[in-house]
Amino acid sequence: MSSQFVPLLRNEVTKALRRKLPYFGIFAVGLVCGIIYFIAGQINNTATANAWGYVGFSMQLVFTDIGPIAIIAFAAMLVAEETGTGTIRAALAAPVQRWELYLAKTVIGLFYMLVLSAAALLFSAALASIHYHFGAVGDSAGVVYSRNQAMQQFVLGYALSWIPLGALVMFGLLISTLVRNPGVAVAVGIGTLFLIDFTKHLVGLDPYIFTRYLNYSWLTLQQLAQGMDYQWRPEVWKMIVLSGVSAVVAFSAGLVLFVRRDLNH
Amino acid sequence: MMDSPPALALEDVSKRFGRVQAVDRLSLRVEPGHLAGFLGPNGAGKSTTLYMIPRLVRPTRGHISLFGVDIWNDYKKAIRSVGITVETPAFYEYLSGRKNLELAARLLDHVSAHEIDEILERIGLAERQHDCVRVYSTGMKQRLGIGRALLGRPRLLILDEPTNGMDPEGTHEILSFLREKVRNDGLTIFISSHLMSEIEEFCDTVFVINQGHLVVSGSVKELLKPHERIVRVTFQGRIPDRDFLSRHEQIRKVEPVTADTLEITLARDDSAWLNQCLQQAGFSVSALAPKQKTLKEFFLSITGLHRAEVTPLSDQASTAPAGEKHHE
Repeated sequence: MSSQFVPLLRNEVTKALRRKLPYFGIFAVGLVCGIIYFIAGQINNTATANAWGYVGFSMQLVFTDIGPIAIIAFAAMLVAEETGTGTIRAALAAPVQRWELYLAKTVIGLFYMLVLSAAALLFSAALASIHYHFGAVGDSAGVVYSRNQAMQQFVLGYALSWIPLGALVMFGLLISTLVRNPGVAVAVGIGTLFLIDFTKHLVGLDPYIFTRYLNYSWLTLQQLAQGMDYQWRPEVWKMIVLSGVSAVVAFSAGLVLFVRRDLNH
Repeated sequence: MMDSPPALALEDVSKRFGRVQAVDRLSLRVEPGHLAGFLGPNGAGKSTTLYMIPRLVRPTRGHISLFGVDIWNDYKKAIRSVGITVETPAFYEYLSGRKNLELAARLLDHVSAHEIDEILERIGLAERQHDCVRVYSTGMKQRLGIGRALLGRPRLLILDEPTNGMDPEGTHEILSFLREKVRNDGLTIFISSHLMSEIEEFCDTVFVINQGHLVVSGSVKELLKPHERIVRVTFQGRIPDRDFLSRHEQIRKVEPVTADTLEITLARDDSAWLNQCLQQAGFSVSALAPKQKTLKEFFLSITGLHRAEVTPLSDQASTAPAGEKHHE
C-alpha cells in the first residue's frame, strides 16, 4: 500500500479549518498589529519613519510574544488533543504508520506557522501603507537602499524568520507528544517558552537557545529601514545552525516517543 | 487445498506494564466466518489485548497475525481488511458524523460516498449525519463507531463493548445487522463485551480471559451444556420438605425456584435415581430436567468471582460448610 501521508495531511487540513484555535491565533495577531499601529503613531521614532521600518517594528513586536504563543499553542494541541480525546487510537487503527501521522502533523504545524507569519506581514504592511510609502530608503544625503534592494532584503529576512519559528513548531510538537492532556500541553508549551526567555540570560544559556532568534530578522531589517549598514552575517549562520539543530533534535525526539509509546490511555 | 489462515491469531502474547503483567502468554485463534466473544472481568487484560491488535500497545513478547499477516511485519497489509473499535469510540466532536466517516474513509482504499451513505443508513444515522458529533448521544456514537469500523468492507470486525450505552432496540438492530453481515458477507467478528446475554445470544465461540491468561475457550453450545448434576424438579401437589431431602447423601443442595419448583444439586449425575426416590416417597413429579447453564453463571464460576448464591442444603440443615461452586 502506498504512503498515507497525503490523505493524512488532507485530514489535518480539514480538522484545522474546523477548529477555532487557528482563527483565534490569526485574530490575536491582527489585534496586536492594530495595537502596535496606535503605539507607533505615538512614539514616532526613527524605527517607524518609513513603511519598511514600520513593518520591521510591527513584525518584531508580533514575533516577540503573541506570534510564538499562537504557534506553540497550535503545535502543542496537535498530538495531545488526539491523545486526550482518544481519536489518535481510531486514526492509528487504520492502515497508517505512526511516522506518517507524525509527519502530517509536523507539516500542518509548519503550514500554520507560515499562514500566521503571512497574516502578520499582511496586517503590518496594510497598516504601514496608511501613513507610509514602500519606497527607497534614504537619509539626508540621499538614497541608501533602492526600493528593490529593500524589498529583496525584506523577502530574505521574512524567509529567514521561518527557521527559528519552524524550530518552535517542532518544540511544540515534542511537548504535545510528551503531555497527553491538550490544555496542559498548551500551558506547558507557553510556560516553557516564557521560562526559557526569562532565565536564559541569568544562567548564561542565551547564546545556545534558538528562541533568541525569533525576531532577529526583523531587528536586522529595522537597521536597513533606518539606512544603517546592517549585517546578516555571521549571526545569521548561528541562527540557522542553532535553530536547525534544535528543530532536528525536537522532531527526532518527538517522533521516537510517538512511534514507541503505548497508547492505551 | 491449503487451510485458510485464521482471521485473528495471537501466539504466546504477553504485555507487562512495569510490575503489572497485564497479559501473560495468551494464545487464541479466531477462524474466518466465526462470531467470537471475548470475556473477562475488569482488569483481566481484555482491553490490553485489543489494543495490541492495531499496535496501539507493543507486546512484550509473542506474535499477532491477521489473516496470516504478522502485524509487526506488514502492518498496513494486515490491518487493511480489519475494522476496529477500541473502548468508547472517539470522534472529532467539532465535525459532523459524516465528516468523521469521510476522514476515516480517506485512509482506506476505494471507499465511495455511496458506501458512506449506505453505512449511515444501516446504522440509523442518515438523518443526523450532518449534526456535530458533540450533540450525539452515547448510543449514537457507538453506532457511528461501528459504522467507521465497517468502512472499506472489512473481513474482520473487532468490537470493544459495541452496544455500551445503546437502548435495547438499538442493540437488537445493530446485532441483527452484524449477524446479517456475517451470514451474507462472510464477515468474522471478535467482540468484547461484559453483557453475557449479548455474547451468549450473538457468538458461536467464546474466549474467557482472567488475570492475563486464557481460562477457557470453545463453542458457546459446548460450554453451556446443561448441568448434569443440577436438576430442576416441578411437583404437582405437595413438595418435599427439608428433613426428607437432607436424609439423602446424594442430595447436596436445594434451592426453591417457585412455589412448586426446586433446584436440586446432586452429588453425581443421576437424575433417574432422584426421580425414583421422589416417586417412591409419594411425590408427584410433573417435570424433571437438567438445569440449563447461562453464560453469566459459567463466566462467574470459571473466573472465580462466584460465591454460591444458592443456600447449600447442609446450611439449611446447619451441618456442612457453605460455598460450593456450581460447576465442575
